[in-house]
Amino acid sequence: MTTLADPKAERALGRRRWLGRLRGGSASRPVWRQPITVVALTILGGWLLLALLADVLAPYDPLAQSADTYASPSGAHWFGTDSLGRDILSRVIHGARLSIPLALAIVSLALLVGGLLGLAAGYIGRFVDEALMRLTDLVFAFPQIILAMAVTAAFGPNTRNAVLALVIVSWPVYARVIRSAVLSMRGDDYLNAARLLGVGPIRALRRDVLPNSIGPAIVLATLELGNAVLLLAALSFLGLGPRPPAAEWGSMVALGAQDLSMWWVSVFPGLAILTVVMAFNVLGDALRDRLDPRYTKGR
Amino acid sequence: MSVSPRRLLAGASALATLAVLSVSACSAGGSGGNANGTAKTLTVNTSFVLKTLDPGRVYEATGLTAVHALYDTLLTFRGSDVSKPVPALAESYQASPDAKTFTFKLRQGVTFADGSPLTADDVVFSLNRLKNIKGSPAVTVSGLTVTKTDDSTVVVASATPDPNIPVVLSMPSTAVLNSKVAKEHGARDGADAAQGDTAQQYLDTNSVGSGPYLLKSYDPSSQVVLEANPKYWGTKPQFSRVVLRNMDVQTQKLTMQRAEAAEISLDISGKLLDGLSGSLQTSGVQDTVYFLFLNADPGVSAVTSNLKFNQALRAAIDYQGIAALYGKGAAPGAGLVAPAFPGALPAGEESKRDVARAKALLTGAGLTNPTVKFSYPAITYKGVDLGTVATKVQGDAAEAGIKLELNPQPLTTFLDEMRGGKSPLGFTPQSLNYPVADSLINNMAPGQATALRSGWTVERADPAVVAAGKKVTETLDLAGRATAMQEWQRLMNASSPYLVLASNSSIVVATADLTGADYTAAGWQVDVAAVGRK
Repeated sequence: MTTLADPKAERALGRRRWLGRLRGGSASRPVWRQPITVVALTILGGWLLLALLADVLAPYDPLAQSADTYASPSGAHWFGTDSLGRDILSRVIHGARLSIPLALAIVSLALLVGGLLGLAAGYIGRFVDEALMRLTDLVFAFPQIILAMAVTAAFGPNTRNAVLALVIVSWPVYARVIRSAVLSMRGDDYLNAARLLGVGPIRALRRDVLPNSIGPAIVLATLELGNAVLLLAALSFLGLGPRPPAAEWGSMVALGAQDLSMWWVSVFPGLAILTVVMAFNVLGDALRDRLDPRYTKGR
Repeated sequence: MSVSPRRLLAGASALATLAVLSVSACSAGGSGGNANGTAKTLTVNTSFVLKTLDPGRVYEATGLTAVHALYDTLLTFRGSDVSKPVPALAESYQASPDAKTFTFKLRQGVTFADGSPLTADDVVFSLNRLKNIKGSPAVTVSGLTVTKTDDSTVVVASATPDPNIPVVLSMPSTAVLNSKVAKEHGARDGADAAQGDTAQQYLDTNSVGSGPYLLKSYDPSSQVVLEANPKYWGTKPQFSRVVLRNMDVQTQKLTMQRAEAAEISLDISGKLLDGLSGSLQTSGVQDTVYFLFLNADPGVSAVTSNLKFNQALRAAIDYQGIAALYGKGAAPGAGLVAPAFPGALPAGEESKRDVARAKALLTGAGLTNPTVKFSYPAITYKGVDLGTVATKVQGDAAEAGIKLELNPQPLTTFLDEMRGGKSPLGFTPQSLNYPVADSLINNMAPGQATALRSGWTVERADPAVVAAGKKVTETLDLAGRATAMQEWQRLMNASSPYLVLASNSSIVVATADLTGADYTAAGWQVDVAAVGRK
């Protein structure tokens, strides 16, 4: 973090206040050492490891069908098998390879799109600001999942379109946050000074405005990771996610929900979603507590 | 946070009130009242597919169950036998040798629920109305002319020979309405009835028939209540009240597990039957087939239009394994006619798997690792997730070296694409709207509407298949038609674009105290008036 820029200059410009908070400068315990954060990080670390080593750790091929259908959990199949005799443990492990990277992709793309548009709206102002903010209002007017369903249904259900749909429904929140951060610093002396020195808008945005406004958006992005996993699973549950026979948690829950007497078919992928979403949310909360000035005031 | 005792008391009493209310609400429902086994109410749980109870417009499963109980038809089917219609309002009928004219003699002394007599005029009015309002079921009578020769004789004539007219006239949509009352509420039977008829709203909430039951209340989202018709001419039903309740299939299963008496469920089928209490009785017939269609148009797919590929895919599929996915009451695919109907292929002619042959056929055709997009509607049909079946087909095909790319689609998109004839390979269930299997010839023989959606023109078809189809339509006796249908299907299985995977049953689940709770493939699922107690 210290390699980002000259620390002196940072202090002089009041830049990157949020980064310093990670180091636990306040009276409370550092964010990374709070027990709940440690648990969340362990869970996420575990899932990342499973995703990376899925081929080694999964006992069976996640797509291999067998005659042993609807076998309840046993020594041979720890999480049981589904209607086609596929091993659920292997499918849950391989599911991590889809859900976690896709959630990261959704949030990163939404942050990129929302961030750029928010910067443009806040910095340029006037007509551009009006137009972009009305566009965000338009997207906000629909419930997220409904809009995502409409977009996926229109483009056709597959992984790429599900990600696109979720980016389309989730960028406005980043645009709003960044725009408000930019608005709060418009007219600041260092920006005026830069302009007087002949710095163009692109350079000003990149060097001065972006680093000062990205903090809250990063916090938001961490919080939204859990939401992205959940939305992707929801789309997939509705049959609008990655195509079968891909091992995706949402579609696995949907398969099991057809007959709840075979509880293991839906419970284990459901638990996978639960743990990942909870862990992302706890982590996001912890980061927000630490980094977002609005939540740390008065402590 | 502290809670004051008063607030606690208020909360507790609110909870208690809620509990009392829910208990009383439960006992007001169907099953609670039947717990002692002496109640007069029969409860039928089903996931509603219900748009109207107007006989001229009814086309959906739940509506057909109700309309069959509210109205009478000239002929009908008893129990689960759909091979031969039996007398109902008509005590007898005569068919002309050319199967173009059918003369029905009406039963004497039949009255409508309001006491007025049922005459030939009512029959002519009702059938003409069905034909002329051009609702969904009108297609079954579109070529018919109905006249009366006297007050108790009706003649139904067809421009082309049609030995199935008695079957058509057993369908609930051909129900006879009290024409006087119906006309008073806007019913019309003239050529312009499609515009002039305004009776649907009235007929949705009132029955004007002569059937064993009367319509007491109609709420298409929650329940339909029928009460016994005190003036019914036939055997009085044992239950004085029938409640059709809208219920999703999982809840139906839970409800039936706890039901003690006089309760029926219509949608528990397939794997959902596993784990059901052994004291419950089930009745079902295999009336649905599930088939793949391969496009025979080389312009759409050079792979699926190749006959060798067609035959290789047939040999690659594990029909037994697919039938197992459907659970109890399913069978490996044989022909396009489901086993419930006359003309089905006999047991022992099910398709069989031969992976080695599939591979040899592919090699012979010079096809290495052919890849095909495989579309299907992402729905659950009669308790079976079509995606699961499609995934199994994909796995089976892969073993023979065929790569299928699954393409699940929303139902409307799937239907649009299928109608457009652009799907190289698709998968769909098929149930007959009325129990006449040779109607398949009019749709699926080469050059017919459905066949053309798969690019199957007469020129691309084996002339033997065309000739066999022609023979079916030219045979005028029903038994001869059934035999001709079997021959047609054997030829279809050799070269048609249709590949039948499995046939599956619809199931009626009933409590142990009931009799006559038989599933029928005639359209109305179960004859509630025939259900009694042991």
